[in-house]
This record gives sequence, C-alpha cells and structure tokens, in this order.
Amino acid sequence: MRKGNEKDKSAKGKEIKNNDDDSFCSDEHNNSKNDPFCSDEHNNSKNDPFCSDEHNNRIDDTAFKWDPLRNIADDPDEVLNIVDSHLTSLEKEHFNGQKDIDENFDKVFSASSVSRREFIQWTALLTSALMLPTIFAPRVARAANILTRTPFIWLDMSDCMGNTEAFLRTAHPTPAEIILNYVSVDYMESIMVPAGYQAEARRDETIKKYKGKYILVVEGAIPTKMNGKFLTIGAKGKTGLEITKATAKNAGVIIAVGNCASYGGIPAAYPNPTGSVGLSSVTNRQVINIPACPANPVNLVGTLVEYILVGKAPMLDSLGRPLWAYSGRLHDNCYRRGHFEAGEYVKQWGDIGAKKQYCLYMMGCKGPFTWNNCTVVQYNQDMSFPMRAGHGCIGCSEPAFWDRMTPFEKPNLDAKIFIPGIEATADEFGVALFGAAGVGVAAHAIYTGVKRRKNNNQDKNKNKDNKDNNKSKDEDNKTK
Amino acid sequence: MENANSSEGSSDLKVVHRMTVIKRIIHWTLFLSIINQIITGMYIAYPFLIFGVTPTQADSPVSGVLNSGETYQAFIMTWMREFHFLGAVLIDVSFFGWLYLAFFSTKEPLYKSFLPFGNKINEMYKMLKHYFTLKNKPKTGKYQDPLNAIIFTFFHILLLLQMATGFQMYVASFTGTSAVGAWWPTMMHICTDWTLLVFGGLTGVTLTHLFITWLIIIFIFYHIYIEIWRSILWKEGDILIPFGGYKYSRDNLKEDESD
Ligand code: HEM
Ligand code: HEM
Ligand code: SF4
Repeated sequence: MRKGNEKDKSAKGKEIKNNDDDSFCSDEHNNSKNDPFCSDEHNNSKNDPFCSDEHNNRIDDTAFKWDPLRNIADDPDEVLNIVDSHLTSLEKEHFNGQKDIDENFDKVFSASSVSRREFIQWTALLTSALMLPTIFAPRVARAANILTRTPFIWLDMSDCMGNTEAFLRTAHPTPAEIILNYVSVDYMESIMVPAGYQAEARRDETIKKYKGKYILVVEGAIPTKMNGKFLTIGAKGKTGLEITKATAKNAGVIIAVGNCASYGGIPAAYPNPTGSVGLSSVTNRQVINIPACPANPVNLVGTLVEYILVGKAPMLDSLGRPLWAYSGRLHDNCYRRGHFEAGEYVKQWGDIGAKKQYCLYMMGCKGPFTWNNCTVVQYNQDMSFPMRAGHGCIGCSEPAFWDRMTPFEKPNLDAKIFIPGIEATADEFGVALFGAAGVGVAAHAIYTGVKRRKNNNQDKNKNKDNKDNNKSKDEDNKTK
Repeated sequence: MENANSSEGSSDLKVVHRMTVIKRIIHWTLFLSIINQIITGMYIAYPFLIFGVTPTQADSPVSGVLNSGETYQAFIMTWMREFHFLGAVLIDVSFFGWLYLAFFSTKEPLYKSFLPFGNKINEMYKMLKHYFTLKNKPKTGKYQDPLNAIIFTFFHILLLLQMATGFQMYVASFTGTSAVGAWWPTMMHICTDWTLLVFGGLTGVTLTHLFITWLIIIFIFYHIYIEIWRSILWKEGDILIPFGGYKYSRDNLKEDESD
C-alpha cells in the first residue's frame, strides 16, 4: 500500500555479519544486571529485544529489507541465513537441546489432539497468509515452537474479553489457538493461577526479569479521563493507564489486539465519556495493531511468528496494521462479489436472494470499507466469516467503527451525516436543500414575472409619449 | 430593467465573444460526464432500483428496464462502475483544462473577472441586487461577470472535492501496485489520503461524495435557470454562449470591454 522502507543498503552486509558472529545474546549478557541491557531509549528503536546495549547499537532495523508483499529482499540467501541464525540463537536460549525442542511440540499438541499432519498443514497456511514463499514453512514451524516458550504478558483493559474468549474457547482449536494457549503466559488475568497481590508481583517480576524481551499483548481500550480512574485493576487499584504505560515501556514488542486496544473501539464510541483511546495513544513505542472484534487468532499468531522470525515488526499500514493481513478489503476477496457486480442483492433477510447467497451490500455490508483478511483466512476453526454466515460485514477492523459503520444493517447511504445541528442522511439533507433551492428558484421566477409586468405597466402609464419604447427596441433587435 | 436601459436611448447591439472552442468543448464534456456521473453514482449508492434480473427477483418494480437474463450476462454494477470511472477520467481532464485556461487563456481568462478585486466584489453585489430588483443591470462584456465567475469557481471546487473523494474510494481496491506500476496508487494516496482524516474514514468519504453530488445537482438547476433568466430579461442571447461562443451586448461597451 504505502511505500516500503527504501533504505540505503550500503554496508549492510558487514553489519549483518557482525550479528551472525556473536549470536543475538549470550546468557551472560542477560544475567548481568549491572550493565542494564536495553535501556529505554534503545527500546524505542522498537526492535530487537534479544540483545544487550552494544548489540542494539549495531543492529538497526534497516539492516536488511524485509518486505513480504513484493519481494523478500535483494539477496534471498542472505535473508534465509539471518532468519536461521536468529531462530537458532532463540532456540538455544529457550530450550535445552534438540530433544527438548522436539518434545515441546509433541507435548503441546498431544494435549489437544492435533496431529502432526494438521500442524504441517497449518504452517503451510500461515506461511502463505504471511505472504512468504514455501521455503519458510519449516521456519514458521520452528518459530511457532519458540513462541510457546517466549515470555508473554497479556493485559486486559476496558473490554469484554472477547478476544480472550475467541482464542481460548474454541471447540476444536486450530494450532493457532493452541499455540496461544501454550505460550508461556506470565500474566493473563483470565487464565493465570495467582490472584491479587501475587498476580501483580508476578507481572512486575516478569517485567524486571525479561526486560526488553517479553511480548506484550494488550486487549481493550484505555480510559484517560480523570487520570484514567475509570479503569482500576487489581488489589492496589492501579489505573489501566499506569499499568499499560509501565508494561509497555520495557516490552520487546507491543501488540494491540482487537479494535478497542487498537483504536478505542466500543468504549471510545461517541460521546466517549471515559476518554478511551487505543494503546498507541498512550505509549510512544511502536504498537502493532491487530484490530477486529474479535481479532483473528491467525493474525495474532502470524504477527508473533514473523516477529520471532526476523526480530522486528512486520510492515505496517498507515493505521499500524500488518500489511500481510490488512492490505485488502473484504469486498475484494468476498465470494459474493460476483453477485455484487451482477447487481444481485439481498433485499430482505430471508428472501430468495439471501438463500442464493446474493451480495449483502443493501443489507448494510461494510466490506467495501474494511481492510482485513476475514474472507481469506476466516474465523471459527478457519471455516466461516460474516458474509458466509449470511450477515454483512460491520467494519470492525476500522477505527471508530461504532460511529462510522452504523447502522450496521443498512447501506452506508442510510447513515446520518455529521453536521452539527443536523441529523439526516446525506440524501435527506440533499433533497431538502434541493427542495429549498427549487422553491427559491420558483419564487424568484414568479417574482421576476410579476415585477416585470408591473414595470411594463408603469412604463406604459408614465411614458405615454414614447410608449412604443419596448416595441421599437425589439425592432431594433430584428434589424441588427 | 427595461426602463433602466431606456435612459441610454437607442442601444446598439454588439457581438461579444465569450467562449473559445476549447472552452465550449470542456463545457459540454463536463455536462455529459456529470449527468453520467449522477446516474451511475446514484445507482452505485442505491442499486435497489434496477436488478440484474434473475427470475426470483422479477418483482422489482422496474425489472423490465435492464432485463439481461442470467447472472453472467448482467453485470449491471460492473457497467455502472465502469462508466462512472470513464466519466471520472473525462471530468479530470476537463477540470485541469479549465484550471489551465482560467489563468492562461489568451482570449478570456477567468482571473480577469476577479481583478481588481475590490471593484469586482462591488460588481458582484450589484449583480445580486439586480437579480432581486431587476433594476440597474451591470454591464456585461468580454469577461464573465464576477458573480458568475465566483459561482463557477465554487462549482469547480466541488468538482475537485468530488475527484479527491472519488479517487480515495477508487484507490481503496488497490493493494500497493497496479498494472501500470506502483506510482499510480502511490500518487492517488498522496493526493487523496487527507480526505480520510477530514471526512472520517472511507464511509465518511463516501457520504461526502454523495452529499456533494446533491450540491452539484442544485448547481445545475440554478445554472440553467439563471442563464435562461438572463436570456429572457436581458435579451442578449446569453444562452447561446456555450453553443456558438458569442453573446450580444446592449451596454455600449468600450473598446477594451468588447471584442
Ligand atoms: C451539468 C451541467 C452543466 C454544468 C456543470 C455547467 C457548467 C458551466 C460552467 C462551469 C460554466 C463556466 C464556463 C467557464 O468558466 O469557462 C458554464 C457556462 C455556461 N453554461 Fe453551463 N453547465 C452545465 C449545463 C449547461 C446547460 C444545459 C446550459 C444551457 C442550455 C448551459 C449554459 C451555459 C452558459 C450560457 C454559460 C456561459 C455563462 C457566461 O459565460 O456568462 N450550461 N457552465
Ligand atoms: C460530478 C462528479 C461525480 C458525481 C456526481 C459522483 C457521484 C457518485 C455517487 C452518488 C456515488 C455513490 C456514493 C455512495 O455509494 O454512496 C459515487 C461513487 C463513486 N465515485 Fe463518484 N461521482 C463523481 C465523480 C467521481 C470521480 C471524479 C471519481 C474518481 C475516480 C469518482 C469515483 C467514485 C467511486 C470510486 C465511487 C465508489 C464506487 C464503488 O463503491 O464501487 N466519482 N459517485
Ligand atoms: S457481501 Fe459485502 S463484501 Fe461481499 S461483495 Fe457484497 S458488499 Fe462486498
């Protein structure tokens, strides 16, 4: 969509060599508390958390071009090398040898009875969803494995826990959901064992211990009015604003999941009494937004996997969403699009058009205004999405969708336009103006006619001596 | 009005050139393409009216109008959008042609109707007053009268907005590149992404596009009314301008005011 990062590539080869040589981070570095690795400023360069201060200085995210949408890089071998060595060093850090690596997945999946075959199918799906070539499929599998051991904090703010529910409570979970269940969750209110002070101690401990390394996922909007007091969490009654700020400061990567965390969502709907905002408004770190209501697990896991693969955020669009997932509109890949083009629309719920799966444009589908990959990767065990279920899209991955996409079951042109003091649809307002203008024109026309006749009469009365004035003028015209 | 003029005694009728061929071409291209935009645009916004008829939906009140049989034969929305985009191209070209001529036309550039500004504003008020009193018709000469000039300029601003919002909706279906290269969507993004911020997302942009359509419809009716009004009241053949390029004038114009 927007231009990729065209950065100058000179001398990048050398930098990368350096990285390779002294792998991403040795244990000593991590443990040495004296020289704090990853101070705040360095973290602001948003990327590689797995490295000490000095490493941070050398690795910068322009080191190689990572642009899955068009081409991976100028030198594909180089990218593979980087990704491989990155994965190897992470494996070294999180696992005790090859046996541990192999066993980990067996353990995770045997608990949920997903076969190895299903898992391989899923890696292929995720690889193509990520717009990576198939050569990445085994690497995606390795990254998914590493992901289950990466420290992880999940915060809940003002929300309905819909994303948590969607990820945790599926009848037949897909590998994406399983991985999310098995990531080494250090703090997640809905599933963690500790409670009260213990829970908070656990969170603080994780922040300290894995400073600059943990994955932070935030769900829910953050109220900011009254100093954020609209939302207080935990035994100490800290505000959501404080907690997110403190946690985001030292995170390795920050992900806002769901529309509320990304853009404020429903808590921020007009008139937004609590002053709720999305995560990116309260931290100056880079935030990866995975909006939707709820977000698709594939998109969350895919983003995490890509982060593990290359150690940095994927390419984002102007609204902070990963381009690989959010570069197309639902409308562009909808299986009902043919009916849209053919002018075949559902006119009423349950009519014959609905049974024939005609386009839902006139039933308020917001697919033409919404960027997401629902129509491609799908929800509910990867098998359905709103249009397939017979209801239009409600635009839940766009900012302010509660205000901008309503009414959900009426076409966009039935929405009220936002002009202060006026509550009407664009058509009502337009027709009213048109009527007013018509009345004005008609009045002016009548006025002109009447006035002209009066003037003429006056002419005749007053200037009896040259009453043929008008006539002679007309003759003038003719002769000319 | 007649009596106002009558004081000047026998007026001699002069021929005044007002629209070059290119301007006339632009005028009628705009006319045709805007009518086209309104029809196709309204269909896009509200496709209830005409269905690609499949037997089950023959209950549509106007199903006879575009009865094209099977789905694969119909594609009404495709055609409507296609013609909307063709009309859009014509509008763009005409708009930029107009913009160029407004400044660099050798015969009658529009900016002359604005300079010197103070005088022209005054004249504009006089014309407005004339509309409502029918007295004291201001002189009309080689250049457009300031009131019309300002209204036409406002209309072209509406067109520009229509183009910006239209291209924003158009670029929405691109994913980073196009058949002619990445520069094309990139350029459209650069030129029109501000509409997202101003009008509140793509839905707001669409509603704005629809609302401006109504303003344009109002303009058309006003415009035709006022040109007819002028032709009847002034008896100077104003309506002939976009056809033949000339009008008449009874105002005893000085040399530099006429042609
Ligand atoms: C969609 C419909 C129309 C649009 C958008 C439109 C627009 C315009 C514009 C922008 C001008 C100014 C030209 C310039 O500055 O170069 C103009 C002039 C003019 N138009 Fe139209 N027009 C439309 C239809 C018509 C029709 C149907 C007629 C008459 C039958 C008409 C009669 C005239 C006349 C007489 C002028 C010259 C006014 C003057 O120079 O004082 N127009 N029109
Ligand atoms: C006088 C000029 C124009 C008029 C009156 C007009 C009118 C309309 C109307 C009424 C709609 C339907 C809006 C809705 O869905 O609520 C529409 C849609 C649209 N217009 Fe225009 N339009 C004009 C110029 C343009 C231009 C210059 C472009 C540039 C490409 C453009 C591109 C579009 C697009 C892309 C759509 C949406 C089509 C879709 O959703 O498939 N329009 N137009
Ligand atoms: S159902 Fe919605 S997304 Fe699908 S083609 Fe129709 S308008 Fe587009």
